[in-house]
Amino acid sequence: MQAIGPSPFLFIGAVLFVCGVICMTTKRNGIGILMGVELVLNAANLNFITFSRFTPLGLDGQVFSLFVIVLAAAEAAVALAIALNFYNNHLTIDVDRGDELHG
Amino acid sequence: MNEIGLLVQRLLDETTKTSVGLFVPELVLSGTIVAMLLCRILPLLWRVPAQWIALLGAFTAFAWTLCQFDQLVGGTLQAKEIFTGLLMFDQFATFFRMFLCLFLILTITLTVLSGIPDREDGPDFYTLLLGATLGMMIMASANHLLMVFLGVEMASVPSYAMVGFLKGRKKSSEAALKYVVYGAGAAGVMLYGISLLAGLTGTGSLPEIGHRLSLIVSQGAGIGDPIVRTIVLASLMVLVGLAFKLSVFPFHFWCPDVFEGAAAEVAGFLSVASKAGAFALLVRFGLAFSGGSAAVSEIAFALGIGIGVLAAAAATFGNLSAYGQTNIKRMLAYSTIAHAGYMLMAVSALMVMKYSKHGGAESTAVTLSCIEGLIYYLFVYLFMNLGAFAIVALVRNQIFSEEIDDYNGLATQCPLLCFCMALCIFSLIGLPPMGGFFAKLVIFASVFKATSVHWAMWFVLGAGAINTVFGLFYYIRILKAMYLKPRPDGARKVSYDLMPVGLFVLMICLPTLGLGVLPARFTETFNNVASVLLTGR
Repeated sequence: MQAIGPSPFLFIGAVLFVCGVICMTTKRNGIGILMGVELVLNAANLNFITFSRFTPLGLDGQVFSLFVIVLAAAEAAVALAIALNFYNNHLTIDVDRGDELHG
Repeated sequence: MNEIGLLVQRLLDETTKTSVGLFVPELVLSGTIVAMLLCRILPLLWRVPAQWIALLGAFTAFAWTLCQFDQLVGGTLQAKEIFTGLLMFDQFATFFRMFLCLFLILTITLTVLSGIPDREDGPDFYTLLLGATLGMMIMASANHLLMVFLGVEMASVPSYAMVGFLKGRKKSSEAALKYVVYGAGAAGVMLYGISLLAGLTGTGSLPEIGHRLSLIVSQGAGIGDPIVRTIVLASLMVLVGLAFKLSVFPFHFWCPDVFEGAAAEVAGFLSVASKAGAFALLVRFGLAFSGGSAAVSEIAFALGIGIGVLAAAAATFGNLSAYGQTNIKRMLAYSTIAHAGYMLMAVSALMVMKYSKHGGAESTAVTLSCIEGLIYYLFVYLFMNLGAFAIVALVRNQIFSEEIDDYNGLATQCPLLCFCMALCIFSLIGLPPMGGFFAKLVIFASVFKATSVHWAMWFVLGAGAINTVFGLFYYIRILKAMYLKPRPDGARKVSYDLMPVGLFVLMICLPTLGLGVLPARFTETFNNVASVLLTGR
């Protein structure tokens, strides 16, 4: 079997990262933005797993990604609760409709 | 098999015999959170108010960190890496943990006095507050890239919920949504940067990064080198996450909205505590490049210059945007952006001096004064900013408004609160003899010394000096409203109890004066913390 280097994995990670950032910046829907965040976090996870296989990072990389998965779940729970709260007050989750505070 | 057994044995020994003992303050806070939640479940304990449990836990943690700090200074405790190098236990970390616990006590006292979480929500609110502080304490003692991310997230996630805590307010829910969306995005970018850095170096341990990087960066490699480019990209991504927590210029847009939407108590907590944690982390991250070759130092030097430009932009932008504001919390939010800029100047000067080519005894002395200035500024900032937000919260309870126009003529009705507000504002402006003046002086002096290394620091210093003048005018507007304008007829009467409320406000605001009048007593401690961090002595 031909050995595959780290490059293809890192490439997929980079594509995921860019997709996530584009998703975060273009979506106006609160849930859509959170999906973009998940893509970015998983891009980083893929990087960690790749590095744990190909560099001296070793098992540290896998532990990293396990922690990130747990934290992403916690963050998603809080974020969805806040989105629900926003919906209850504004009857929409379009982030552009939140315009009472002028940043 | 035997080897694994030995390894487990050693791990257990390290954890139980040294690490856990030094980690007690954090464990106390965790225990307090569990106790508050248990009180909610057991019907017998429903009547125990959550704020007293929280206050007890915070006091215990503060006393414990104080003892640890004392022992570290006295030499009975040694600085060491704990939990197999994940966390660092040293004077710098312990000072920040102490600082955060003290701030936690003051914030809890303020919420008790202003009554922002009602009885029903008390346990939830204090759980979030303690949880966020726990995360910031981990940020301050992080010694591993995993802990960097874990600390930032542990501090952020409870903060998101605290911002949206006011029930049934459109503004509060909007502020929370904006905070969580931007915060999650910044954390994601930061994590990607951390993954690149960990992959390049093959380790997560912060003190080893400089050494490992010098193995892969060839001598004389410029920005065209792919490895250098990746290192710069990764460091910038980590800095994005930290700059977001610090609300520095290009990543500040959440700050005014969040501060306006959140309760003043929460805004005060976020403005001081999350900045303190992020600055401790930034200093640790900045020092992680030390011990490397000349090429690595050059990268870090360039980053230091970049941070300086960012600091100048943040200070200018924050001060200029504060002019048009009518809401006092929004104005204070822009002022925190400006103050983050001043403090960032100290970090910039630190990195520039630390990584300059012609180092020596003199540059070591300057790096010392940079860290000293940063700690001094944060310490003064705790009192002056919390004081301002506390008065905003207490006045809000009386006049139900946070508009500056509604503060007209307040001095005739509550002279004490207005006097304390004036103290805080004079310190925020940086007038002598307030603490804010001397803290700014130490930072500007170290930036001035850094100008000898690179011309860009002149620009940073100039921006700092001009901004001190800019800041004068919009702060004075609050004082003008309170002292010079007449109180309109039919305005709501302001009354408060002199005993707990007045005493508490005085207790927060007088240190801003004390830190200015008696600087010598404090600088010795700050200098000691800085020298132990930088030279290990």
